[in-house]
Amino acid sequence: MRRLAALPLAGLFLLPLLLSLALVLPGLTDAAAVRALLVHPQFSGALGLTLLTGLASTALSLICALVIIFASGGAGLARRAGLFLALPHLSMAIGLAFLIMPAGLLARLVAVFAGLMAPPQWLTTQDPWGVSLTAALVLKETPFLVWAFASLLNRDDLRAALQGQAAAARSLGHGPASTFLRITLPQLLPQVKGPLIAVLAYGLSVVDMALVIGPTQPPTLAQLLWTDINDADPATAARGAAGVLLLTVLAGVVIAAAAGMVHLVQPLWRRFCAGAPRVGAVRPQHAAWLWSAWSALHVVLVLVMILQSLAARWPFPLFLPEAWTLKAWLQIAGDARPLLTSFALAVATAAAAVLACVAWFETQPQKADVIPAIPAILTLCLPSLLWALGQYRLFLALGITGTWAALFFAHALPVFAYAFLFLRGPYRAFDPRWQQAAAGLKAGRWRTLFQVKLPLLKAPLLATAAVGFAVSVAQFVPAQLAAAGRHATLPMEAVTLSAGGNRPLIAAYGLALMALPLMAFTLAGLLGRPRWRPS
Amino acid sequence: MLNRRQFLAASAAGLFVPASALAAGWDAIEAAAKGQTVYFNAWAGSDTINAYIKWAGDEVMARHGVKVEHVKITDTAEVVKRVRDEVVAGKKDGSVDLVWINGENFRTMKTEKLLFGPFSEQLPNYQYVDTAGKPTTRQDFAESVDGLESPWGMAQLTFFGDSTRVASPPRSLMELAAFASKNPGRVTYPAPPDFHGTTFVKQALVESAANAPALARPADAATFAQFEPAWAALLDQLHANAWRGGKQFPKSQAEVTQMLADGELHVGLTFNPNEPANLVAAATLPASTYAWQFEKGTIGNTHFVAIPVNARAKEGAQVFANFLLSPEAQARKNDIKVWGDPTVLAVEKLPEAEQAAFTGAAAPGSVTHPGPALLEPHASWVPQLEQAWLSRYGKG
Repeated sequence: MRRLAALPLAGLFLLPLLLSLALVLPGLTDAAAVRALLVHPQFSGALGLTLLTGLASTALSLICALVIIFASGGAGLARRAGLFLALPHLSMAIGLAFLIMPAGLLARLVAVFAGLMAPPQWLTTQDPWGVSLTAALVLKETPFLVWAFASLLNRDDLRAALQGQAAAARSLGHGPASTFLRITLPQLLPQVKGPLIAVLAYGLSVVDMALVIGPTQPPTLAQLLWTDINDADPATAARGAAGVLLLTVLAGVVIAAAAGMVHLVQPLWRRFCAGAPRVGAVRPQHAAWLWSAWSALHVVLVLVMILQSLAARWPFPLFLPEAWTLKAWLQIAGDARPLLTSFALAVATAAAAVLACVAWFETQPQKADVIPAIPAILTLCLPSLLWALGQYRLFLALGITGTWAALFFAHALPVFAYAFLFLRGPYRAFDPRWQQAAAGLKAGRWRTLFQVKLPLLKAPLLATAAVGFAVSVAQFVPAQLAAAGRHATLPMEAVTLSAGGNRPLIAAYGLALMALPLMAFTLAGLLGRPRWRPS
Repeated sequence: MLNRRQFLAASAAGLFVPASALAAGWDAIEAAAKGQTVYFNAWAGSDTINAYIKWAGDEVMARHGVKVEHVKITDTAEVVKRVRDEVVAGKKDGSVDLVWINGENFRTMKTEKLLFGPFSEQLPNYQYVDTAGKPTTRQDFAESVDGLESPWGMAQLTFFGDSTRVASPPRSLMELAAFASKNPGRVTYPAPPDFHGTTFVKQALVESAANAPALARPADAATFAQFEPAWAALLDQLHANAWRGGKQFPKSQAEVTQMLADGELHVGLTFNPNEPANLVAAATLPASTYAWQFEKGTIGNTHFVAIPVNARAKEGAQVFANFLLSPEAQARKNDIKVWGDPTVLAVEKLPEAEQAAFTGAAAPGSVTHPGPALLEPHASWVPQLEQAWLSRYGKG
């Protein structure tokens, strides 16, 4: 029985992941394919862009997140950051592209004042240095890091320790900025290593955002490889597969190099920390605008997408559309299959993931958690191109490409990974005295579980389900490969459309993509409110 | 390419199948097709086309009980790869029943024996196809069709713009480059391997080639090397004043059209000569829009539908392909208000009642300066062109 309860997690997550990796890793030995990649005319340019956008977006996101934490003291940020987290990367990229493109709202605003009649020849979207892609990544990753910091600061022990130390620093004459840099930062940073690595790995390997807003000549490495692995020519597809492995190695090297840098900088940092106290003029209030700017920008992006989705004709330089239409929305409603497919997969994978995790936590000793935890962390830190390609080969071998089963597994892998890591903390931290009390009242194991434990864990369980739901909705690369054209999900439709010219429909898909996870998070928030609080 | 004797023999073979046997065979196919679902993998970059496919699917459902699912794709090469992967993995019931295809993708599938058939010349409506007047219905990019794909529509590279911005049409790539030098940043084309982009660079090959007949024959790297300098010189001249200095290119033709509608670009391009008129009818472009082809001609071809060898619904796919060839479906497709894709049929061969549906009244946005259709270079030129383009212009 105890062993059996581990099966869902093992069978739906661990086994498919291991088989996928086993099928994709031998590609590294394909020397001809690696050579073909190295002589690809766009390879060096693409590599440079990948490093630039990946590193720049990670560094900028970290700086922005730290400023926001400094400004707020970290209190009460987790909720709003969680809400931002729910918004898919792809929607952000679509909204940002509509805002900054040469015929976008920003250019129209400039045109009003500058009297332009034709769109300016701006190098905004598809700019050759990947600035717009970096901006889109920063926009999306900063709230993720804020959430990681805020979750840390929500821990009573850590917060109390930090507050005590900060008080001591202040009495020694340190100003707020000095205290933050010398006391808070050195203690927080090592604890967000995991999220930082995930952000970096994501930035280095993102496909869908890059297809929407990234540079094209040359593209980023991930885009280049995505085109290759979908190519009709087997040699080109092999080149793509070899490249995916190279990208994985590259991500590892970059992460190792970053860790090495931290090591080198540490002595200098210590010297700085030990320096004389600085009062400094920078106060938290000076930085508070940044977090507000985040909210404002999100509102603007949503508004831009709403305008764009309703615009029948919107000639430049008019600030508002000349004619309005509901055609795009009617089209989504008329063929609701992508929406329903995304929804059904998200519900199925999130529910399966939460159930499998609960079964695991209830039956397996805590020290066994490392068995799924390492693969789960690996899933988040490996380029999705890697395991998705392995999955595709696995599905092909099993003859299930294009089936619901393949789609379920393709979405389940990242959902299970997030769900396990997300639920592990709260579940394992559950106070065993509640169970002991229930046992003392002669409640059986099942009754204790369903009437005491799970209701008390309602909020984290629902939050995990919502995260799983959002992760599932956002999948593009694994979904596209597994679907074999038989099924379409929202991100697949959105990316396909983004190559075309139907802006209302692209915008409407961007919004629909955003609406599903928002709904899930709102629902989880509402249902997760405690009916009573133990005092 | 077929020589003349093979060509005649192949035509004769098609003619001598007794009509009754054909009809009986077709009845059996229609009977088997009933209840099947045809997964039609077709480029979905245009709403008008998607709407037309939906209409055709609804009609075959009502008339023949065949369900058509439009699998929306961005690049047909993905479908070729998927079919190959499935065939290699031994998957008999493949995920593709019918694919919209031509040129290099067709050649790949044909040489790798990934296609079902021959079937197209046995389709009842094939009798109306204008094989004499439109030789590209039997020679797809200089590759013999051999009944492995059924013709669907005609295409010819066409340029368009607003007469208030483009007073007189540039009627060659040299003239387009001259136009760009007067209007810097307002001319571009989609990056290959988007098929509009590939066609544009092929047009440059045709216009710059000193020895045009060589283009109809297979080319290797050495042959291409002789043509490359003149080809690149022509493109360099255009790129110097192109959008973003010829360093970046839009991703698709639809994006070019959208940028034209925004006023960011002055010249658009399409493979469908009636698309500009269609866009004017849909109020996407102003009525002052007009279209033109080059004086010495632009590249023209035929697009087809083909059935993969591992298709699950081969009968349903044939019934749908036959419907797409029907005078009714072709006339509707030809209609500028619907799609405006030129027909593959010989309109004069049709019964008189059907002919009336193919009215070609001039509409705003129509081609005002037509040019002859030039044959596609042999498909083997395409990878060379794409590779050279990437090396020269893909690095930013």
